[in-house]
Amino acid sequence: MSELAIRRGAAPALAVRGLTYAYPQAAQPALEDVSLEVAPGEFVLLAGRSASGKSTLLRAACGLVPHFHGGEIEGEVRVADLDAIGAGPGELAIAVGYLAQDPETQVVSTTVAAEIELPLEMRGDDPLDRARAVEEVALALGIPHLLDRTVDTLSGGELQRVALAAALVTRPKLILLDEPTSQLDPVAGDELIWLLRRLNEEWGVAVLLAEHRLERCLAAADRVLAMEAGRLSFDGAPTDFLAWARGNDPTLEPPAARLFALAGIDPLPVGVRAARQTLRGMGVAHPPNRSGRRVSDPLPQVPVLQAKGLWVELDRGDDPRDVLQGVELTINRGERVALMGRNGAGKSTLLRTAAGLHDPVVGKLSVESIALLTQNPSDYLVRERVGDELPGDEGLAALRVVGLEHKVDADPRDLSGGERQRLALAIALAGQMQGAKLPALVALDEPTRGMDHARKGELVNLIAELTANVDFVNQGATKATGAAVVVATHDVEFASEFAERVVLLGDGVVIADGPMAEILSGGWYFATEVARVLDLPGVVTPAQGAEALREERS
Amino acid sequence: MKSPFAYQPRPRPLQLASPGAAVAYLGAIVAVAFLYSNPLVLLAAGAAAVTAGLLAGARRAVWFALKMGLALALLIVVVNALVVDRGATVVARLGEWPLLGRVDVTFEALVAGLSSGLRAAVTMVAAAVYSACVDPDRVLRVLRPLARRSALTATLVSRLVPVAAADAARLRDAGRLRGPAAAPVGKAPLARRLLAGSLDRAVDVAATLELRGYSLDAPPARNRRSRSRYDRRFYAVAAFGLIAATAARALGADDFQTYPTVEIGLGGATLALSGLVALSGLAPLRRKQNRRSPSADGTKVPLYGGKSSRRRAVVDRSGEVARV
Repeated sequence: MSELAIRRGAAPALAVRGLTYAYPQAAQPALEDVSLEVAPGEFVLLAGRSASGKSTLLRAACGLVPHFHGGEIEGEVRVADLDAIGAGPGELAIAVGYLAQDPETQVVSTTVAAEIELPLEMRGDDPLDRARAVEEVALALGIPHLLDRTVDTLSGGELQRVALAAALVTRPKLILLDEPTSQLDPVAGDELIWLLRRLNEEWGVAVLLAEHRLERCLAAADRVLAMEAGRLSFDGAPTDFLAWARGNDPTLEPPAARLFALAGIDPLPVGVRAARQTLRGMGVAHPPNRSGRRVSDPLPQVPVLQAKGLWVELDRGDDPRDVLQGVELTINRGERVALMGRNGAGKSTLLRTAAGLHDPVVGKLSVESIALLTQNPSDYLVRERVGDELPGDEGLAALRVVGLEHKVDADPRDLSGGERQRLALAIALAGQMQGAKLPALVALDEPTRGMDHARKGELVNLIAELTANVDFVNQGATKATGAAVVVATHDVEFASEFAERVVLLGDGVVIADGPMAEILSGGWYFATEVARVLDLPGVVTPAQGAEALREERS
Repeated sequence: MKSPFAYQPRPRPLQLASPGAAVAYLGAIVAVAFLYSNPLVLLAAGAAAVTAGLLAGARRAVWFALKMGLALALLIVVVNALVVDRGATVVARLGEWPLLGRVDVTFEALVAGLSSGLRAAVTMVAAAVYSACVDPDRVLRVLRPLARRSALTATLVSRLVPVAAADAARLRDAGRLRGPAAAPVGKAPLARRLLAGSLDRAVDVAATLELRGYSLDAPPARNRRSRSRYDRRFYAVAAFGLIAATAARALGADDFQTYPTVEIGLGGATLALSGLVALSGLAPLRRKQNRRSPSADGTKVPLYGGKSSRRRAVVDRSGEVARV
């Protein structure tokens, strides 16, 4: 088919028929008999748990499967009527753009302008056409000011936009996105989703978006596909998907839908706006009440971390910058604290300073003892046997804390993502537990990146165990050994599930600090979906919201 | 932390110049360093490289390269002094050494080592200025039609080296964060882990290159002639410097002898060439615009004359005001 015909959208943007695929040396196929179609200009959301086949399907649609990964494939994949199995990713680039989870791995040039221009240069486009296309896509994505910058000076959100620009610069009819918001703060994540919606509406680009945080993008979607164990388990409208998820896989249910289901309200809403409309139609309305009253009891005061006038300067090679600017913070034993803020606000720097990786330039930071798990748990795993990472009784005690004592002989590479994370935490904990006593502070930096809801639930349980007064060594004896847990996270829904206190950083300064329910119901970006629907102080989880709705209705 | 030698775009003449002009200019400074052994000329070439780097805003690159270059120069001086026993002026008798035998340090060997060390230092500073000021994407774009595979390799390397450095820093941090009872990281497991990570990264970058169409057999794309208004200046300075250096050498400007006794020529040709070479470091100087200051009564004076002027100020993409 000619390029002109592809551009006019004469064929489905994506047509998959009977697709079965297995990675090389894999025991099970990653995709089994998948058939679907995406119409030109359609915005389709791809839902499913981790390892359900979402990423593999996207990779098949852009030609990386099987051309790059190898393996065995059956069936048919057509992208704008091009045979994706016959053609390679380079040839498909005219019709399809692909954006993966980690923007760091998707840039190959030094400067932004060169990165965006590269696909056009590879096609042999004329210099003037290239210049115009780069300018237009930069304007469309709001990044013309970045064109002359080097990619290593960009924030995660900026880098994701640059990678999206490089994927869109050839004006493809289909864009595939694999969890593009997983590393972005709520502001950048929401901006990216609505940017996609605008491109979808104004440019007619069909979008196939795989995401775990469905509450962020369900309202923007025309249609939802759900995958389970390599098979397509649902294909329908977003409202039908909510009903299906309730009956088949509640972990896929967004908080607003769970709120309505618990309160017995129909129809289930696809987003905040729909939820509010339904509530208004039912005559349920809440006057805004921003009294700022505290909604939970004061916390015990046994400090394990104290920062007083803490200033930390980092020099990334260009200009030194004060990343923390006079932080005043106290964290007490047994507290579960969510450390939140946009990208670059200073969350990681605060944790790293507490762990001794950075030195304050002014001020003081005292920590009783700390175990820090950084953003990449794999960095902790350097040996080929779990027992070799954690030898001896103290190693075994650490494995017991995270529930991996039965995996001593396993190869860390064979563990699941969640198990690898727990093993890395055990490595950080090992030897810091004096007898039954955990370190005073356990800190986790962005632990939920790329996690599905079920795995987040496991992490919530682990955090609860770490802060509980349990003697892990003697298995069961109750002693005052609970650690304080601080989690730097962008995930407000996760924070609402594990935290009792939220500290919000803005540009290196603590701008809010208080009980979780108060902080996460008092804003827009750093607020749960339920809080945004109900706008009630202190009401952040579906269960709390459902109770409030039931009271209101009765 | 970003490498001091990493490219940093700045609206300065050396960064705005085409890769060819920048390479010609910095290459000419290095060529002079290799044409001459006279320490005065070498010092002048070093001063030119340092001045060029500072004017281009590559202060950190120059500073780090100077430190490394001078350390290397010192090493060369020491090694030369220990292994070369020529020269008439013995400054220290160090007795019998294993392998080296009798070691007499001579003033002449020290000066000869200094000359070689200075040459190495000049080369390092010039290379650092190139690395920090010349856009690697533009260089690769020039190379791509000439040597596709080499350009691909260079692309992967230019991307993977800083990524591997960042990975190594992360792994070091993770090593420091291991609990005291966890097995120590050890150099071999760390190196293995870093290598495995780099291979994973290479696969990711290769996949991205595939998606960007690197494997397409499209005809090589024509490139814009990436000239800047500074190109002529750099080409002219490079050509003039090389011609002057060659001519001065023919006239005996490289009058320098180390053995048996040190003789450093300081004739007119040597001094003139040294001055010229040192001045060539000013080539990246950005001329300030000829703005008129507000008049004494505070009224604004238009740029480049009043309404009747046919010249007008325009702002190009780098934000600089140019005359048209």
